[in-house]
Amino acid sequence: MRAKFAIPAVGVTLLLAAVPVVAHHSFAAEYDSTKPITIKGSFVKMDWVNPHSWIRFNVTGDDGKVTLWSAEALPPNGLYRQGWRKDSLKEGEEITVTGFRAKDGTATMWSSSVVRADGKKMFSGRADGEEGPPR
Amino acid sequence: MTFRLILSTIPAAVAAAALAVMPAPASAQSSKGQQYKAPRTPDGQADLQGIWEVRNSPDKDLEKAKGLIVEPKNGKIPYLPAALARKTSNEKNSAAEDPLNKCYMPGVPRINLLSHPFQIFQTPTQISIAYEYIHNFRNVYLKRDKHLDGIDFWQGDSLGHWEGDTLVVDVANFNDQTWFDKAGAYHSDQLKVVERYTRTGPDTLQYEATITDPKVFSAPWKISITLDRDTKPNARILEYECQYLADEAAKKKGN
Amino acid sequence: MRKGFLGMTAGTLAVGTILFLKPAPAAGQDTPPGPPREGGGRGGRGAGFGRGRSPLPPAGPFKRTADGKPDLSGYWNAANNGGAVFEVQKHPVARPGYPPGPGAIVDPPDGLIPYTPEYAKRAKANFDEHLADEPELHCYESGLPNQMYRQFGFQILQPAGYLVMNWEFMHAVRIIPTDNRPHGLPASTRLFEGDSVGRWEGDTLVVDTTNLNDRTWLDSAGNVHSDQMHVVERFTPVDERTINYEATMDDPKAYTRPWTVKFPLSRNMQPNYEIMEFACIEGNQDVHHYIEETGGKAKAVIP
Repeated sequence: MRAKFAIPAVGVTLLLAAVPVVAHHSFAAEYDSTKPITIKGSFVKMDWVNPHSWIRFNVTGDDGKVTLWSAEALPPNGLYRQGWRKDSLKEGEEITVTGFRAKDGTATMWSSSVVRADGKKMFSGRADGEEGPPR
Repeated sequence: MTFRLILSTIPAAVAAAALAVMPAPASAQSSKGQQYKAPRTPDGQADLQGIWEVRNSPDKDLEKAKGLIVEPKNGKIPYLPAALARKTSNEKNSAAEDPLNKCYMPGVPRINLLSHPFQIFQTPTQISIAYEYIHNFRNVYLKRDKHLDGIDFWQGDSLGHWEGDTLVVDVANFNDQTWFDKAGAYHSDQLKVVERYTRTGPDTLQYEATITDPKVFSAPWKISITLDRDTKPNARILEYECQYLADEAAKKKGN
Repeated sequence: MRKGFLGMTAGTLAVGTILFLKPAPAAGQDTPPGPPREGGGRGGRGAGFGRGRSPLPPAGPFKRTADGKPDLSGYWNAANNGGAVFEVQKHPVARPGYPPGPGAIVDPPDGLIPYTPEYAKRAKANFDEHLADEPELHCYESGLPNQMYRQFGFQILQPAGYLVMNWEFMHAVRIIPTDNRPHGLPASTRLFEGDSVGRWEGDTLVVDTTNLNDRTWLDSAGNVHSDQMHVVERFTPVDERTINYEATMDDPKAYTRPWTVKFPLSRNMQPNYEIMEFACIEGNQDVHHYIEETGGKAKAVIP
């Protein structure tokens, strides 16, 4: 199933050269590509690490309970080449993260894109969760 | 007979005389290398290429390495009072906390000061330094004039330019994860390093680095040290694979 | 699907997730190799090529260095490697996370590694039970020929007398003197990337590598070699955007005969492109955060 998304202004070759995707051991086994999700939350911080960066954000449930979510994203060089900078997101900013839920039911997801409070959409991983560059 | 002997020795004598008036081997050199004129790369840069290593690594404790810290004159790293406590605690817990003991990237200038050689390669747009220490490499960009914005690195982002025959490298975009030595000398993410590489002879390179970090130091401080070239024929750097060695040691312990 | 693999997959989740990143199969992997499909670039960092733009103009001839040799310098990647990075030999059956692919072996014609019985067993054991021992998970360099099809591309620098390759992945380095010097290391010195010496034969750079250790794999599927492996590579530029790459592996302990891989190296056409630092930190804080911030769920921990 292909998620509909705006094609980022990045070509196939750029991604072939520079953008990695999830470990084949981990993605298919860990994330459910048949269960796309979009979650709004309040940005806490980002860990720019290899092999995958992590976006941490607080999500308030209908019951008022706040859960810290972790969204897996591209490694630092991949993020940078997609236009991410360390100050791209501000603490407390409302962000909308789209991706795929972890199969284990924890507050974890793969993130394919993030929309900032100002409406800017930033590509953070392959949108349909599969291996390879974005379609 | 005597005459012929004299005649036959004249060329040798002339040669000997010529050698005697040539400049002394450049290894005994002034610290700025004023007398030595390095050969050129095809595009006219001073040629710094080769395999280089410090004679005696100061990595154990920069402040205890005689003559290494040339500014300030007292040879001590000028910590801000608030920063001293952390340095002391680092030093105390060095075995457990030295990032090098976890096989992390050494940072700059530490990576140039280890007991492992590195090899300098020069092209018109870039100088690439390959390190034996965990196969690190640093690329010094000669044609980019701005540091990257919004990303940091263990070894920083290096921009280079020439001042005469000295390569000056402006390093910024550091994270705060590395130490300068085993004794816990550390920095923040405000670190900036300006390196100077000057070839002072066929087999010597003078390496200087000025370290600035307003969050940790009350003033910039500077180190200066001589690197020796590996002159063996067909010399090459080898591999020091920290993690592999750690894994092998763990296996032996039965972990 | 074999139970062993599934079991291993679950166990390697954290390891794979935390430490290791696999590349995408190249787009157009199943189409014949050729210059990458791409449009003209706008230039600048982070900017790229829009899809659907007009293709690049036909490639011109390759440049030469001052000494008349082909100039191989620039940024390259092995985009069309037949899925070799997943499995170097033909792999017609999909696995979780990687599709079938032809691999990169052109000889023997069946596309399979001609293992000795003992090494066939080792390869199978890796695949069935030891995928978490993948060398790259431990921040090791990839060895040969694996390094050549590793993800994120590499830069070739060609100062006088050398070919230097810098990979973004694992910041791997290969230093190849091109002056036809002899190998000089004792047999007891074993290196992840071996000892390489190069010489030009016309416009082909022939690289001979010995002194490899046996700690690297040929791919992510666990295919192996012994420390007796000897590799001869041939880099032949075709035009300004393509180098034909070929490598022949011979290893009397692991293989019954030599075998050869072949695939093109394609130039990365993005203006102002640079290799960036890649810090591989085994057992890093990422593991720690992941465990904590997902409610302490037990994940496989790297030994």
